[in-house]
Amino acid sequence: MTAALIGFALVLVLVLLRLPIVFAMGLVGTFGFAYERGGAIFSERGLKAAMSMVGRQITDTAQDYGLSVVPLFILMGLFVNKGGLARELYAVSNAFLGHFRGGIAMATVAACGGFSAICGSSLATAATMSKVAMPEMRRYRYSDELSTASIAAGGTLGILIPPSVILVIYGLLTETSIGKLFVAGILPGMMGILFYLFAVRWTVWRKPDSGPAGERHGWGERLTALRSVWAVLLLFFLVIGGLYGAFDFHPLNLTFSPTEAAGMGAMGAFLIALSRGGLTLSSTFEVLKETSYTAAALFSVLIGAQIFSNFINLAGLPEALIALVTAYEVSPFAVILMILGIYIILGCVFESLSMLLLTVPIFFPLVTSLGYDPIWFGIVVVVVTEISLITPPVGLNVFILKGVVGDVSTGTIFRGVTPFWVADIFRLALIVLVPWLVLVLPEQMGAMGH
Amino acid sequence: MRNLVIWARRASFFPTLLACVALFILMVMTFCDVILRSVFNAPIEAATELTRILMAILVFSVLPMISAGKGQIAVDLTDGLFSRLRLSRARDAVVYLASGIMLIWPINRVWILSERARDYGDVTEYLSIPVFYVGWFITFFTVIAAIAMVITGLMYIFAPHALSEQTQ
Repeated sequence: MTAALIGFALVLVLVLLRLPIVFAMGLVGTFGFAYERGGAIFSERGLKAAMSMVGRQITDTAQDYGLSVVPLFILMGLFVNKGGLARELYAVSNAFLGHFRGGIAMATVAACGGFSAICGSSLATAATMSKVAMPEMRRYRYSDELSTASIAAGGTLGILIPPSVILVIYGLLTETSIGKLFVAGILPGMMGILFYLFAVRWTVWRKPDSGPAGERHGWGERLTALRSVWAVLLLFFLVIGGLYGAFDFHPLNLTFSPTEAAGMGAMGAFLIALSRGGLTLSSTFEVLKETSYTAAALFSVLIGAQIFSNFINLAGLPEALIALVTAYEVSPFAVILMILGIYIILGCVFESLSMLLLTVPIFFPLVTSLGYDPIWFGIVVVVVTEISLITPPVGLNVFILKGVVGDVSTGTIFRGVTPFWVADIFRLALIVLVPWLVLVLPEQMGAMGH
Repeated sequence: MRNLVIWARRASFFPTLLACVALFILMVMTFCDVILRSVFNAPIEAATELTRILMAILVFSVLPMISAGKGQIAVDLTDGLFSRLRLSRARDAVVYLASGIMLIWPINRVWILSERARDYGDVTEYLSIPVFYVGWFITFFTVIAAIAMVITGLMYIFAPHALSEQTQ
């Protein structure tokens, strides 16, 4: 266990020296593995075993069939975005919600939720929506606090509402069903939208000037706005419905594996973007290029994380933690609370993916040995990660907003985000106390149509 | 030095194109596989093994570009500190050199694995594609990535000016 803790500390130091995560985790994981196998870091036997593990990990991860879901879902998000989805989603939500007080901020939250249903990244959701929603909220003289905060918070939904890159990584690290994880994210994601809407209402109740009402749109305008997004909505239902098993009836018998769902989604998004004239040869190349760069970076990190995770497991850290918990007779719920506390603290300084890669290999065996559901824990981890994205001092979504908007201080954004942060804590508490909210949908999966 | 940077940027187009083509084929193939399976009950049997190969191409052909171009995921918490201490350049040089050199061992190992596959005559199940080609591909592009990182590290020491133009 000591070796594992030293290894963990070393990774932290190397990562803070800005060594890319893949190299930090890979290096420590390799030598740690060698130490555990050979009794000394530079023992020939240990190093041979370690290098053999590393070689296999590299070739196997790069050729993992299940991992193909990653580039395909990223591709789907980027293609849909090229078709101008963000603007259209925003127009729809605005047509329905804009006339309320704080309505344009509420529309922003709803549009972020909708965009998350196609895009699996919180940072991308925040960056895209800020370009669309910010000018509109400025036009209606919304306070900077409310307008930036609604985008920063709304953007966090990207990693919870399926598809989600973070959930895919969690699924791969823990060998949990990605399809079930996606379906499990739906209800907590909708709760997220609802709670954020309340946060907007609360803000305008406290400061009525911060979010004046916009103009009311007639039903004609609303339907016209809806017509522009129907194809993308259909795509979402096809992809998630296929994963859920909703089309598994005669004569269709269609159930998607996550890879198939992602492939259908990407192709559908490509066709939608093409039919709208949003794609040229060079923009298609740009989308494919961006996807492959992102996927390669994610794969590299994943290889590093798996090497490190092999070492942590060999060193017996998870077992040692389980023994510790049993020896002191800590109640399972207290363990969960402690883990959540650790996540919230780590989340103050760490970026979401690094936090997940560092902690899941250690906490996952402990949590499942205490009898908690792996799917439920995955959603809890993602919700905590979402919170970390808007927690000072390193809430990444806040910095994205600052980068795109420019003339607003991060202090202002963090102040505006506070009610949203509180709403998030409420949601987290609810999900922790009532696991049913997470598990009800995945438990129904596959039961339909039979 | 500037010529080297310009040349490297131009050359990077081809592996990027390769990754893009692999990704596009992956998308179309997955789509066709689902349609053929559900409508005509005739799935593409080799889809799984082709997916594996396309994934390896997709990931490793762009590895040199993301490795040398700050594309690898890293934590930038201490950036402010390093730049205040005027150590950013030295740190980047060390990080690139160390990362590049570190890759020698995995490269060697992947090479051995693919040579072993060649000796055994391992082929894929449906299309009988020799497995060692994938191993060679991974080895080749990891070597390029390692060389690119070492050169980037050296340039941080000897020619930082040429490098700053590269990032623009």
